Amino acid sequence: MSEALPPAAGLRWTPLAFLLLAAGGALLVGGVAVRSPVPLFLALPLLLAGPAAAFGGPRGPPAIRVERALSGSLMAVVLEGRAEVDERTDPLDLEVSLSDPEGLTPTAPPSIRRTDRSLEFEFRWQAREPTITLVPSPRIVWRDAAGLVERTAEFAAPPLVAERHPPEIVRIGAVRLRRTLAVPGETRSHRVGATGEFYGLREAAPGDPSRHINWRASGRAGRLLANEYLLDRTGDVLLLLDARGSSLGPAVDERLLALSRAAAAGIATSFLREKARVGVGLFGEFLSVVPLGAGRAQEMRVRSRLLKARLGPPGVPSERGAVAVSRYFPPGLTTILFSTLADDSSVDLVRHLRRRGYPTIVLSPSSIPLEAERGTLPADDEALALRILRLARRTQVDRTWQEAPTVDWEDYWSLERFVELLRRPATRRLG
Amino acid sequence: MSAPAPAPRFRGIVSGALLLVASGLFGYFGTLPVPLGAGLALGLTGAALALRAQARARLRAIAPVPALAALLVAALASPLGLLPELLAGMAGLAFLAWLADDPTRPAGGLGRARMTLLLPALALGIAWASALLLPSRAAPIGVAGGLLAGALVALAILIARPGAFDREEATI
Repeated sequence: MSEALPPAAGLRWTPLAFLLLAAGGALLVGGVAVRSPVPLFLALPLLLAGPAAAFGGPRGPPAIRVERALSGSLMAVVLEGRAEVDERTDPLDLEVSLSDPEGLTPTAPPSIRRTDRSLEFEFRWQAREPTITLVPSPRIVWRDAAGLVERTAEFAAPPLVAERHPPEIVRIGAVRLRRTLAVPGETRSHRVGATGEFYGLREAAPGDPSRHINWRASGRAGRLLANEYLLDRTGDVLLLLDARGSSLGPAVDERLLALSRAAAAGIATSFLREKARVGVGLFGEFLSVVPLGAGRAQEMRVRSRLLKARLGPPGVPSERGAVAVSRYFPPGLTTILFSTLADDSSVDLVRHLRRRGYPTIVLSPSSIPLEAERGTLPADDEALALRILRLARRTQVDRTWQEAPTVDWEDYWSLERFVELLRRPATRRLG
Repeated sequence: MSAPAPAPRFRGIVSGALLLVASGLFGYFGTLPVPLGAGLALGLTGAALALRAQARARLRAIAPVPALAALLVAALASPLGLLPELLAGMAGLAFLAWLADDPTRPAGGLGRARMTLLLPALALGIAWASALLLPSRAAPIGVAGGLLAGALVALAILIARPGAFDREEATI
């Protein structure tokens, strides 16, 4: 991630300084016009205040060292930071500001505490729905007490990434995936546990179910022995985001794409931690991909690509996406498709993928909660409109089910149904 | 942008009262009828104080405008004389003090703005002392005009080249 320096670190006059200058100039002209020294006496402090403020402040950009960290719970995002200033700068004259990151809503005014040589700040937001977003560096500005001149502090601080997704995503990595290459590289990950192929014997422990006890071996050994199983947890998965515009309109499409990005980032992280290989495809106007890979570097690549994902134009043919996928990824690859299913072309994409040999599972963020948020109709009409929308949505999901297992994602903070679907043996056979 | 914390309502009262008194006196001694002169000055300054007490940042940002307008009207309608000259200078300084005592900024603004207040106060003192001590009636205009011309030339240079204030290398 590139480091960002705030622009224009030199001295700047504020609009208030220009206002005072204009007033001083007007008084000067007025004084000459009415042949009176009184306006000149008023003009004098107004004209001199700006330069005096500049002479009284630091003579260069304040040098500041900033430390920041993101924290928070499921929906809350908290940015806490501390700025240490040099001895020539009074922390009382420093102002901190920060643009609200995309998808986050402020829940409290920023908290700023100043000590002798430092400034501590805290920003609190809430994620309306699952999100992955960049939290930019705060802008720290020295401004004189009268607010006439200011200097932007210089410090290097790369933006932080805030990720909030449904809690079930952490369990998704335990799903068994199919391997699509015979020699996949150093990505083997085994887990010895209660499921999988037989691995060995161990001393039975209290709480072991009786079906795990190896009775023959126990009889021979004269003590209780339990079976252990080996689960090969690696595999390959493609996360494909249908980022084409739809009939829902750009505003709704953007929010649904942001949801898909967040879910894809969470799912990718979860699988990568199990040493599976993950690839990502973003199908907007064309397909841009992150090829299959594993490890922390791949996690960074996937995250970076997802953060850059933008909505494409509507009306892009679905077959183009499926053909492009087949150029980059081998057939048979388990594919999780994120699609709004708003138009027939979304269903077509599922069909084309299936025909080219990609076992697909569709996770479809529903637009209905967003439509309900708008609430432009009277209550009764609104309820009726939502019922009709739900019926139409159910029909579309049913149509998609004929091509691939589909999860209608309406409760954005839960992916329980999706995880359950992935863990079902019938679905696993898809992979 | 995250909204800043609401301003404490009772900070800045002293500087606000000072500005109100200075601008009221300035208007009172003007050539306009007293109810109009003093009323206009007090009304506009009161509007400035009320704007600064608002929670919305945009309203607070335009608070100096009515206060400046009050001073401009009073200055242009002021009679000749040493007292109006002194009042004009004091009103200008009171305005700067009010700017520095912003309740949305950390407390102690007046102390931190000492350079912003002392330098104009010094220039004012020189100008007013010259007007008081020099014999000719034309002298005050000459002295104040000379000072202003010098200040304007310096301002033009400084505003055109803000880098002129950057002299030290900041280190930590």
